[in-house]
Amino acid sequence: MLLFLQALINGLLLGGIYASCSAGFSLAFGVMGVVNLSHGDFVMLGAFLTYWLFVLFGLNPFLALLPTLGFLFFLGFFIQRLAINRLVGAPPIMSYLLTFGLHLVLSNLALRIWTADYRALKTSYTGLTLNLGGLVFPYSRLATFALAMIMILGLYVLLYRMETGRAIRAVAQDREMARLMGVNILRIYALTFALAAGITGLAGGLISHTYVIYPQMGLQFTITAFCVVVLGGMGYIPGTLWGGIILGVLESLTTTYLTAGLSMALTFFLLLMMLILRPRGIFGKGVVEEI
Amino acid sequence: MSRQWLKVHLVWLAFLAAGIILSSVPLFVPEGYRLRLLALVFMWVALSGCWNLMSGYTGYIDFGPVAYFGVGSYSTAILMLKGGVPFLPSIFLSGLICAVLSLAIGLPTLRLQGAYFAIATFAVAEALKQGILEGDRLIGLEFFGGAHGLTLPPPPSEAYFYYLMLFFMGLVVGLTALLEKSKFGYGLRAIREAEQAAELSGVPTLKIKIKAYVLSSSLIGCLGGVEAYWLTYIIPDDVFNVLRTIQMVIMTLLGGMGTVLGPVIGASFLTLVSEYLGAKFVYDYLIFVGAVIIVVILLLPRGIMGTLWQGQRWNR
Repeated sequence: MLLFLQALINGLLLGGIYASCSAGFSLAFGVMGVVNLSHGDFVMLGAFLTYWLFVLFGLNPFLALLPTLGFLFFLGFFIQRLAINRLVGAPPIMSYLLTFGLHLVLSNLALRIWTADYRALKTSYTGLTLNLGGLVFPYSRLATFALAMIMILGLYVLLYRMETGRAIRAVAQDREMARLMGVNILRIYALTFALAAGITGLAGGLISHTYVIYPQMGLQFTITAFCVVVLGGMGYIPGTLWGGIILGVLESLTTTYLTAGLSMALTFFLLLMMLILRPRGIFGKGVVEEI
Repeated sequence: MSRQWLKVHLVWLAFLAAGIILSSVPLFVPEGYRLRLLALVFMWVALSGCWNLMSGYTGYIDFGPVAYFGVGSYSTAILMLKGGVPFLPSIFLSGLICAVLSLAIGLPTLRLQGAYFAIATFAVAEALKQGILEGDRLIGLEFFGGAHGLTLPPPPSEAYFYYLMLFFMGLVVGLTALLEKSKFGYGLRAIREAEQAAELSGVPTLKIKIKAYVLSSSLIGCLGGVEAYWLTYIIPDDVFNVLRTIQMVIMTLLGGMGTVLGPVIGASFLTLVSEYLGAKFVYDYLIFVGAVIIVVILLLPRGIMGTLWQGQRWNR
């Protein structure tokens, strides 16, 4: 029973991280219809940026999250302005291929610069845990989970309670109509992609607090984001929270009771079944791409 | 008559001439690195040709063709090792197995559109890879060899594989040229241009998509079997490697999607570049490939062939 509860808690904590890593993916898809295959590399960049800010300048890893967010925000803005904006209205394959090219460039440049070494952030509080009746809660995971939740809440507030968010949602619903209402589409696109990249980088920074990081980690997170977003419903932000938690718990339970390798196979099987049976996600609130 | 005849048959005459020239190469080139490199080029032309046949013409982006490459490799290996089946029947049977598998997978997934189809096919390939990695532990038998993979019997000469790869390349390129002008080929392109309109005009879109998917997948399966015997050693991480999918996509994209010669040009170019650049600088090669993709997408989205032929950008 204790093992089960511990697995459940681990899954929940993991799920929060997954959700925070995937929200940006969902946002970019929901608003622009862009499937960003370099998504995971923004996670990687965020993780490395936080790591280096800590190692080189001794910046507290939690404080380092802010410059990380800012840097990725501007990177996303420029990528959108220089490349992705040119593909608005093009067949969707163009955006997959473009972002895939970006993935190859980013992840292999990172590999060239930082080598394939595994790195981990070590702070004075890294190994500390909270014990509650036999259950173990590592402090750093609790803190990253809490920050991930705050981040998703912040995104939700921005999208559903603020004027900019209204404009973003209007563009997502009907591009032409939003344009007629005076919304500057290209500005909203650039803002959306910058926002998506920024929060993804922030999530990457959170990951560097508790997991080992390496330049090729990106693709894994792109795949995870796919699964989470399909579970929660493409483009439906609150859905990513539930998608992430379901995926995290599922992975944690299969790793505990079966084997780690099988958890991947199960994840993909779940993804496939969702796509076929409920492509709009468990709540049915996602968007289905029209071609 | 003769001029018209020449025009129609020139393509086939060129095809035949290329076949004769390439078949005579092993007479002049000694066995070894060069022959092997040529066979490798043929394999990639054939593989990206298969991908082009399905995704290039229909616009349905298959991100999991490597699933059939891996399944073909493994079924050939298992048929030869456990079943004692000779090599050529083994690859034929592998093609058949992949045809059945792709039919089972295509039926539900080909109803999905756009990104959803791409993600679903990607998921299939990864799930199969993990399944084969963990398969032995699940059934409790030494069957797939887990992460250690399988070792096949020693292969015959290099020239044998040269001709086999040449045959498959000719088959794929010839089939594409033949199908392009057929009713089937027009159906495929109609799906790419406007699927709903095609469906309304009486094109059986789902049936056509499935036919193209099964054809492309079974040929990829055969090629997987050939490569397994050629390299004599297979592991899941290699034969199901997502990089193989990526190569097929990029080679086709570079040459031009939905054209007969696109995969030939793209695959020849990139295989040779990767051979000379990739052997020494693996990461530089991948950075180069990534940059090529970005440039191609932004500047010549129709690929080299498409740009030469049509000389215009998409503007929809």
